[in-house]
Amino acid sequence: MSVTTVKVARRHPPRLPGRQLASNAAPTVIALAGGIVLWEVVAQAWNVIFFPPFSAVVVRLVELTLDGKILESLVGSLTNLMIGFTISVVFGVGIGMLMGAYRKVEMALDVYVYAMLTAPSLVFAPIFFAIFGLGRASILGVVIMYAIFFIIINTTAAIRTVPVGLIEMGRSYCATERQLFFKVILPAALPMIFAGLRLGMGRAVKGTINGEMFISAVGLGAVVISAGRRFDAAAVLAVLLVIIIVALVGVKAIQLIDARMTSWLPSTARAAKARRAGDRV
Amino acid sequence: MIEISGLAKTFPARGKDAPVDALKDVNLTINDGEFLTILGPSGCGKTTLLRMIAGLIPWDEGEITIDGRPIVGPGPERAMVFQSFALMPWSTILDNVAFGLELRGVSKAKRHARAAELIDLVGLTGFEGRLPGELSGGMQQRVGLARALAVDPQILLMDEPFGALDEQTRRLLQEELLQIWELSRKTVIFITHSMEEAVLLGDRVALMGPRPGRIVDITDVPLPRPRASAVDAIEGSEEFAKITANLWRQLREMQMFRRHAAEGRHSSSEPAA
Amino acid sequence: MNSAQTRRRPMTGGGLSRPRSSSLRTRILGSAWTYRLLVLVVLGGAWEIAARAAKLLLVPTFSGTIGGVIELIGDPKVWGAFFISNQALVIGFALAVVLGITLGLALARFRQIEGFVDPYLNILLVTPMAALIPILLMSLGIGLASRVFLVVVFAIPVIIINSRAGVRQVDPALIEMATSFGADERQVWRKILLPGALPAIMTGVRLGLGRGVTGMVIIELLMVAVGIGGLILNFQGRFEANLLYGLVILIVMEALVLVSAVRAVERRLAPWASQTVLRD
Repeated sequence: MSVTTVKVARRHPPRLPGRQLASNAAPTVIALAGGIVLWEVVAQAWNVIFFPPFSAVVVRLVELTLDGKILESLVGSLTNLMIGFTISVVFGVGIGMLMGAYRKVEMALDVYVYAMLTAPSLVFAPIFFAIFGLGRASILGVVIMYAIFFIIINTTAAIRTVPVGLIEMGRSYCATERQLFFKVILPAALPMIFAGLRLGMGRAVKGTINGEMFISAVGLGAVVISAGRRFDAAAVLAVLLVIIIVALVGVKAIQLIDARMTSWLPSTARAAKARRAGDRV
Repeated sequence: MIEISGLAKTFPARGKDAPVDALKDVNLTINDGEFLTILGPSGCGKTTLLRMIAGLIPWDEGEITIDGRPIVGPGPERAMVFQSFALMPWSTILDNVAFGLELRGVSKAKRHARAAELIDLVGLTGFEGRLPGELSGGMQQRVGLARALAVDPQILLMDEPFGALDEQTRRLLQEELLQIWELSRKTVIFITHSMEEAVLLGDRVALMGPRPGRIVDITDVPLPRPRASAVDAIEGSEEFAKITANLWRQLREMQMFRRHAAEGRHSSSEPAA
Repeated sequence: MNSAQTRRRPMTGGGLSRPRSSSLRTRILGSAWTYRLLVLVVLGGAWEIAARAAKLLLVPTFSGTIGGVIELIGDPKVWGAFFISNQALVIGFALAVVLGITLGLALARFRQIEGFVDPYLNILLVTPMAALIPILLMSLGIGLASRVFLVVVFAIPVIIINSRAGVRQVDPALIEMATSFGADERQVWRKILLPGALPAIMTGVRLGLGRGVTGMVIIELLMVAVGIGGLILNFQGRFEANLLYGLVILIVMEALVLVSAVRAVERRLAPWASQTVLRD
């Protein structure tokens, strides 16, 4: 038994990505195309200022892109998003692991984490504004408040729900604490941690936009606010389209990393884990 | 030699539940190279006892020694096979079997070579690169057995290893286990709730009873070895029938007694074991 | 994870296995509230010291904030602001529950359209709804209607999705069982699918309420400065830091109280599910 054959055999699970994509994509494309046509027709017929047709939104999007406004704001927003999300991941996963591993840490922190999870995160924006002023730090504060608690909760639950049988198995083979953590607990917890990261990414996008709307100085959120002040509905919707694409791409990126790192998981189990994680939202 | 003396454990009262005497005054000696089966109804503490021998859970009173040394935790001379298989779903079969060796720091080439040997022994050659989720229950437990054997333990602890399998698979695995054991003659402690399994596999059958968990009786099984090649003949023999009938008589009395006891109380909740 | 302690300890007489003595000391050490209070005291103390040292105009001390909370509770203006804000929440949340559950059940019933609806549900879930506020104001004005609409938009996706998922996850064997006893579709829905889906629906309602509160506050903070959000901005503008912080705490409290109330209803309506659906 050579190592190479093992590697080859490992790729075995019969997944047909191409075909699966096609069967999923067809209704999606039809649905989106249908939605766009409906939007165009209704908006043309209705002809009100707050509901511009799709074509007008696209035209506006092109204009905003050409004068560089979108790109500049997009870079600003993505910077806020990436920094805020990274900080949330590092501290969220760290705190979540401590809570999952040590009962006392969990007892000490759980009510606060749940409270922050339930609280409308944007109410903290005025506080960040008070401390950090108009700068980027205020927006990052909001992004972190949006994302980190989801990541903490899921990481805690992920560590807690590692099958007891596996941990006992590890111990019966004399695993040290370190080995137990890295070889058994962490891999077993990874799928659910990633479910939390996926939720956290969605939340981080919302935090970025809402924070930017509140601070109203940089990023796509600020563009939304200023377009709103000018009653430029087409510009608002154009930016919203960009935001939705950012959110979908961000979530998809996490899913791709997840699929790479936890390829052993059957897809049904992945869906179930994601659902369970969603319950805690 | 494993010696268990005066072993007792009480699970503390939890909420409204009264404390449960999981084990009380358990005494047992297991000789080197012996295949001991422990038989008992569910909730009698047999799994608790095995997990103590494995060093996974503490107890209140008494002592367990292996060759005179008291147990203070899991040790390299013992390896366990789990009812739930306890395979790591993210690792290949090869890596699962090599797990115990990996923890001991054996080099990759060496442990993979050793694992491949064991995979061959349990008849899974060709499945090295698969993931546990792709295998049937019977195949998964073969992996569990191979993983335990890979670390070449002196003592094999088996916790109802075939309990989650269907009847045909179970019988096949019993034969294979006998074959493997009759070659290597390791000390085996095997938990089961099947009388036939206990008698077919064991040199002796320790019968446990519930509340408090204790050893009720120890029966010698004087059936000839090797048995692997003669399973049908053994199961058809008069001796086999006699021993099984005797065990059943005792088990039935235990259950009847329990039922009467339960009628007096509200519920008969099982201890967490 | 706590195996390290057991590992090197002799296997007998371990603290794990002894019946717990119920002395005051062990009770205090075993209680979660001890640790929670400890965190509060440590963080509150750190805050107090830092704030006193920093002396920033917009960072109140911990004690000042507590004082602010007390002051706010006694202030009728605050109650008025909560009343105004919560009008939007009550109407919007009621609409979201009715519409959301109906839509969710309909989606579960008509599986054929699933592929066409899913992309929109996915988009709905990730879209920062707050970006729609300018459009709302253009169409519905800055009155109650806009705020109600935003609460609905915030609350409804999670209610739809959970209601649909709730019906989907009902054990098919139960449906077969009912059908084998001659149940028609109506009866299957009434007797099997709805009770089976109830826990998930209630979870959706609870999550929806949390989001509804968020929507209620967000529109006031971002564009319509009335109610609680308006009050926050007011305090911020007047540099009344302790009142600003105190009001944030009150809003968090309101969200917690409302969500706990739904959780209590949830436990009553579906007591069998409290363990399986959620961990908390």
